[in-house]
Amino acid sequence: MKRRYSIASESSVIVYFGTTIDPAISQEVQKAYHALKAKDQEGFYEIIPSYASLMVSYDVMRLSFDDVCEIIEKSIEGEKALILSESKIITIPVYYGREVGLDLELLAQEKNLSVEEIIVLHVNEIYTVYAIGFAPGFAYLGEIDARLATSRLASPRKVVPKGSVAIADRQSAVYPSQSPGGWKVLGRTPTAMFDATYEGLSLLHVGDRVRYESISKEEFLKLGGQL
Amino acid sequence: MNGFLVENGGMQCSIQDAGRRGLSDIGLTQSGAMDEMAFGYANFLVGNAFNTPSIEIAMGGASFKARSEMCIAICGANMQPTCNGHKIALWQTYPLRRGDVIAFGFASEGQFAYIAVAGGFQTPFSYGSYSTSIKEGLGGVEGRKLKAGDFLQTLDARCPVDRRKLERKFIPKYPDSITVRLVKGYQEAMFDASSQETFFNSVYTFRGEGDRMGYRFSGEKVVPLASGILSEPICYGAVQVPSHGEPIVLLKERQTIGGYPKIGSVIAVDCFKLAQLKVGGNVKFKEVSLKEAQRATRAFYTFFKEQEA
Repeated sequence: MKRRYSIASESSVIVYFGTTIDPAISQEVQKAYHALKAKDQEGFYEIIPSYASLMVSYDVMRLSFDDVCEIIEKSIEGEKALILSESKIITIPVYYGREVGLDLELLAQEKNLSVEEIIVLHVNEIYTVYAIGFAPGFAYLGEIDARLATSRLASPRKVVPKGSVAIADRQSAVYPSQSPGGWKVLGRTPTAMFDATYEGLSLLHVGDRVRYESISKEEFLKLGGQL
Repeated sequence: MNGFLVENGGMQCSIQDAGRRGLSDIGLTQSGAMDEMAFGYANFLVGNAFNTPSIEIAMGGASFKARSEMCIAICGANMQPTCNGHKIALWQTYPLRRGDVIAFGFASEGQFAYIAVAGGFQTPFSYGSYSTSIKEGLGGVEGRKLKAGDFLQTLDARCPVDRRKLERKFIPKYPDSITVRLVKGYQEAMFDASSQETFFNSVYTFRGEGDRMGYRFSGEKVVPLASGILSEPICYGAVQVPSHGEPIVLLKERQTIGGYPKIGSVIAVDCFKLAQLKVGGNVKFKEVSLKEAQRATRAFYTFFKEQEA
């Protein structure tokens, strides 16, 4: 699909690279995002990537809609040759204990799998960060094994504990802070997803590659995990 | 220490500047003053730069005590402010003496009022802004609304020598019925001719379903051709229509991405007016060209830039 530029508002342009969740489309978005971040264009206030689109909010005092489209298009073309380096894999330790894996049993029944099989399927995948949103540092990771694909809870929890590792549809995510939520919770990580001391504030950024690692209760507690 | 003591936090008071920039890609909301016009005038009247942190008062009911001499201006919704029990005027500089108590009733028109102080409130700079994001617990005073006992430090700054008062012709009104301008975009193609006709020709009512994140309006239903889209970035003023068919205008503390179809976006300067709409107020959406929308935005920010020069 050819890139399609559209007005989002009088000061925002949205570029569509496709309309589906697809690793190849996501790669195009990531390339454009990194090229634009690196360019550090004056008057670009926000560069927000998502699954198949990217939005730029700009200063209308300095730039027109056409200027912005041209700058984005040129940056993308200029980076065409760029092959996203096989970025290092970020490992997120997870304690898959039943006291924190609030929906493990439910999912095991639903999928006709053992809890152990669920954990293996969840840690055996290397995920890509497709988008960040919902809350600061909340990263949408894709895709989980098709055998784990699941719907959201019929009634969302009012409180999902901080660090909860959860799945919904073909995606996985870690809740960076305590919040309401309807994803099915498999475990908990002691790693902070969002922290003022991190460079870039968020542990994960769009395009990063991630894997989960199963840890014991003792390791979880030693790493500062809270039950 | 120079400063302002919160005696009563009212419904919801928070420290706000024009908002956060450049962090939406990691999920941080923009936040900032819901009405940048009243916010901008308040800062102008005390001689501050446009983007200086002020107190945003939502709905009213708050009171503050000056712990030192200072110069303030109150702009926006009329919450019948008093100083030591005596009525004081909005839209002008007002010197305070140590011990003065400024109290607010509830808004008779508009929703948000701003208190600017000469030199600005000295709260911590957090994630590129002074703004509070209440939903995320970031910025301002511990990421929350103000409460009794909070102390907001100020500088030893005096009123501008010319004791400013905003000319009547510049003072905005907050009527119960407004028309806001919108540029079409995003998934406009998912709204067929008849739903667009409905959308642009109906009157929508604000029934109080909303907060700093966005306002939902009731009225004639507009049904998009699909109930959801692949999640994508959301800009200020975006008008999304979930399957219930009622438009939601996303404002300062909106989520950064979302999956509902959007017909376009209300232009920034009209979002400021929309934010001031009271419960029961009506809105009509009017389509404008991108050119016209940008002209309006440029005029707004040029005005405040010139005041700083």
